[in-house]
Amino acid sequence: MRCALPAGLVLTALGAAATPVAYRLDPQHSFVTFEVLHFDTSTLRGRIGPLQGFVEMDREAGRGSVSMRIDMSQVDTGMSFFDQRLRQDDLLGTATYPVAYYVSSKFDFDGPVLKAVRGEITWRGVNQGLTLQALHFSCRNDARLQREVCGGDFEAELKRSDFGIGFGLPFVANPVRLVVQVEGIRQ
Amino acid sequence: MFRPTIAAALLVTAIAAQASNATYTIDPTHTFATYEISHYGTSTNRGRFDRKEGTVQLDKSAKTGRVEITIDTTSVNTGVPQLDKHLQSKDFFDSAAYPTATFVGDRFTFDGDKVVAVSGTLTLRGETQPLTLKATRFNCYTNPLLRRETCGGDFVATLKRSEWGVDYGLKIGFPDEMRLLIQVEAIKQ
Repeated sequence: MRCALPAGLVLTALGAAATPVAYRLDPQHSFVTFEVLHFDTSTLRGRIGPLQGFVEMDREAGRGSVSMRIDMSQVDTGMSFFDQRLRQDDLLGTATYPVAYYVSSKFDFDGPVLKAVRGEITWRGVNQGLTLQALHFSCRNDARLQREVCGGDFEAELKRSDFGIGFGLPFVANPVRLVVQVEGIRQ
Repeated sequence: MFRPTIAAALLVTAIAAQASNATYTIDPTHTFATYEISHYGTSTNRGRFDRKEGTVQLDKSAKTGRVEITIDTTSVNTGVPQLDKHLQSKDFFDSAAYPTATFVGDRFTFDGDKVVAVSGTLTLRGETQPLTLKATRFNCYTNPLLRRETCGGDFVATLKRSEWGVDYGLKIGFPDEMRLLIQVEAIKQ
């Protein structure tokens, strides 16, 4: 009886290890757009990306993990002088903090559909919980790539003051909405 | 007596109109059009037009307005250079033949002081079709740097691109329907 338990654990471990599927983020379809309210009047937007990283999902078991890096210098608002201003120390501070990291091993599924990713962002020396809520999520067999592709649109909100960015407050708002387009190609 | 009265009335009307009818120039740093279109039902592709210019006339007391914005279709920016190039080709905007798209809005709908919708026409690829932009927010404020009144907001519209003759990929599952997100701010002249 003593050896039955380890054998059972090994089988479980093998079963669990065999099922997760790895996806690499598609650089053509993985971006984050930030939205900030300007003078309570209009919404400023900027795109950062492509996002780089890997996702593992076991949709049957309802588990997943993601590890992602975001090159913050790749900010694009449509105005190069504004992008340069954004990279300075009192805003994105890309010389000191060139990369933001996002990791999660808490994927919330409703059946096979991913509903939320509860993870942590590390940026500008701050580590903070950040939940990405899925606006929609699906997988398809991509005809061109001949691979399964999973992805969707996600949103999250953070306060820039939590990351030490106070410039322009309160005329440029503190809450920052993140809109994430992401697609992962099965490896 | 009759003629001078009319002349005086006209003069008063003209002064009143002058007082409330103002011209605003689009602030290019806070004015962008972004489109959203579904990518095979999985995620949403976004692209933004970076170069544009235009003017707005706004009469808050008469509750009328007119806007004309010209967008440079070669300034489309998706973050994927090869896609930007494809979008400028004949498959989409045909930028060589039609370098600009123009929105002319001449029917402003107000709720109190706030603009809630602007109806007019969008000309793209030489095709002119009606388009209504709905405001999700609208506000005027005094810009502390410029010390001028600035009015603007966020607007959305949904359109079918095939109405402008942009039908590439419809047969292989790229949707016809797309959404426009407009950020706009304009500075009083």
